[in-house]
Amino acid sequence: MTGRPGGKQPRRVAVTSPQTRVALGGRRGPPVRAPRLTPDELARAERVRAVQLRRAVTALLAGGAFLVGLPLLLQLVPALDDVRLFDVPVSWLAVAVLPWPVLTALAWWQLRRAERAEAEEDRP
Amino acid sequence: MIALAVVPVVLATLLIGARGVAAMRTTSDFLVASRRISPAFNAAAVSGEYLSAASFLGIAGLVVKGGVGALWYPVGFTAGYLLMLTLVAAPMRRTGALTVPDFAEARLASPVLRKLCALVVLVIGYLYLVPQFTAAGQVLTLVGGVPYWVGVVVAGVVVSVTLALGGMRAATYVQAFQFALKLVLFAVPALWLLLAVGPEVRHQAVHPVEFTRFTAPTAVDFTLDTRFELTEPVTVRIDGGGAVPLEPGPHTAEGGARWEFPAGAAVPRIDGAAVPGSATWQRPLLDAGSAGHPLLGTWSVLMATALGTMGLPHVLVRFHTSPDGRAARRTAAITVALLGAFYLFPAVYGLLGAVLLPQLYLSGATDTVVVALPLRVDPGWPGDLFTALLTAGAFAAFLATSLGMLLAVSGAVSHDLVPAGLRRLRLTPLAAAAVAVLLALPGARLDVGALVTSAFAVAASTFCPLLVLGIWWRRLTARGALVGMVVGLVSSAGVMAAGLVAGLEPGIPALLLAQPALWSVPLAFVTMIAVSLRGNPPSGAASAMLRLHLDESAPAAPRP
Repeated sequence: MTGRPGGKQPRRVAVTSPQTRVALGGRRGPPVRAPRLTPDELARAERVRAVQLRRAVTALLAGGAFLVGLPLLLQLVPALDDVRLFDVPVSWLAVAVLPWPVLTALAWWQLRRAERAEAEEDRP
Repeated sequence: MIALAVVPVVLATLLIGARGVAAMRTTSDFLVASRRISPAFNAAAVSGEYLSAASFLGIAGLVVKGGVGALWYPVGFTAGYLLMLTLVAAPMRRTGALTVPDFAEARLASPVLRKLCALVVLVIGYLYLVPQFTAAGQVLTLVGGVPYWVGVVVAGVVVSVTLALGGMRAATYVQAFQFALKLVLFAVPALWLLLAVGPEVRHQAVHPVEFTRFTAPTAVDFTLDTRFELTEPVTVRIDGGGAVPLEPGPHTAEGGARWEFPAGAAVPRIDGAAVPGSATWQRPLLDAGSAGHPLLGTWSVLMATALGTMGLPHVLVRFHTSPDGRAARRTAAITVALLGAFYLFPAVYGLLGAVLLPQLYLSGATDTVVVALPLRVDPGWPGDLFTALLTAGAFAAFLATSLGMLLAVSGAVSHDLVPAGLRRLRLTPLAAAAVAVLLALPGARLDVGALVTSAFAVAASTFCPLLVLGIWWRRLTARGALVGMVVGLVSSAGVMAAGLVAGLEPGIPALLLAQPALWSVPLAFVTMIAVSLRGNPPSGAASAMLRLHLDESAPAAPRP
């Protein structure tokens, strides 16, 4: 129950990133200033942010179109209630089943693009 | 029977929680489990924490009560993680902030804003916690016949002891275990039910017939005072007494009363509720309170649930257990898939419940439909067994969500409202749980789904704009954030409370008061932006924002 059997554990110390020290600075003692980013880092962060923002907006538009459009479609085309797939109304499947693969695929796609945006920075 | 179901869950929670005690050293350890958790494991923990009683019991109950459109709730719950992945996960992790109040201070350097954030954490936390404890009490009342308060107190004790012993480290193990447990305990009984009900009920489930007449003598246990309309004379027995002949017209059943209707009697109508199997019930859109605006209702719920997810304090803190921003983003992506797997099943319980237990629409106890179904299908030992399994799963759901939310509430109290060290932090969960239990004790009749959704609306109107603008917009000022959050809090929590008091007739105004997210979220965003544009961001704000987008693979710069 108390760690590895037999062995003495090395004394644990708080390991905090500079960011964490800044974030926690207000809690006790004087505020801590984050180390300044170098001009190179600033430029890189600026580029990465711009690419990520563009890709995020596309992903949001795609997800938003799905979430706004599907209820609209179901409202405008009530005939979908009478079309059946495996004896279940298609309009029910559109709410109960369709969103899971769509959302998972969108998440996977956006994850890949976000990671690639960072990897592209490392290539000359 | 009940002990069989609940005791193993409680014991496992405590044992796994105790494993975490060994390594407790610093406040950072306690809150974020020393950040050594892999994305897949962490995603299971996020999902385990997220799948509350509202998901396990509430959605199926809402389907019985409100119709197929209730299935939009889990769509919003899951879409929230897509937004999290896209906008928040990685930068939020890179702030190094442990909680939203930390984030607010790190990004905007305003102690006042930090206190306001902590206050909002408390509002969201209790809107979320109280229904969890209420649901625990309700299910134990139904299944075991124990008094309501026993379930509430048991849940409170187990959750707070686990937290005080192990903190988040414990919670991460517990939550990942809970996700596996909940998925199995939800999916296996659902498949068994589908097989056991036979082809006729399966056919009725997808070809619903309006619930107009009781097919068998039916006892209805009203949970609330209920007004309804009788369309023809009927003779009922109330609380086992003599036969009472009733004329057509309006009648009121007292909460707690048991009315027995004879076979063939016409089913009473309740104002503003969709009768299971009726045409409105079958429409796959959310027409809350039969207001006649299903499209607005659906969009409003989607907006609250999808945007509210990123503002839920217990979920945000979970991303800090990822080692870096990249892992936090992967965690969010895997979570979308895990939640999708779980949310395939509420529809099964809801549709079968509408066929087999439509009288729950009268009694108001629709939140118990999941647990009540197995015995309705098979009164023998399989029914008992699956009731026990589902009760265990439901209890696991209360525990998981309450653990995370209590941690967030304790963190807000002891870190942000009253700064203190580790010792105080360990005791705060006990106090926070005690408050939740006290609030839940008089709340036996709360609607679990409604309260949880209001927590989402508050989160969407306050933390969502703060995080999105704080991460992506360099001109955000502390003043803008402060004013925007106050406007968001008042137009969500305040307006919902006012709507409850005012009690408007169904219609667009009532809908906009009860489901304010559709306008309160844009209002909070616009306020935050407008006020920020009138001021100047502090020097260094641009660099504080850009820092959040500097990825981990960047070459380390030499430091003087």
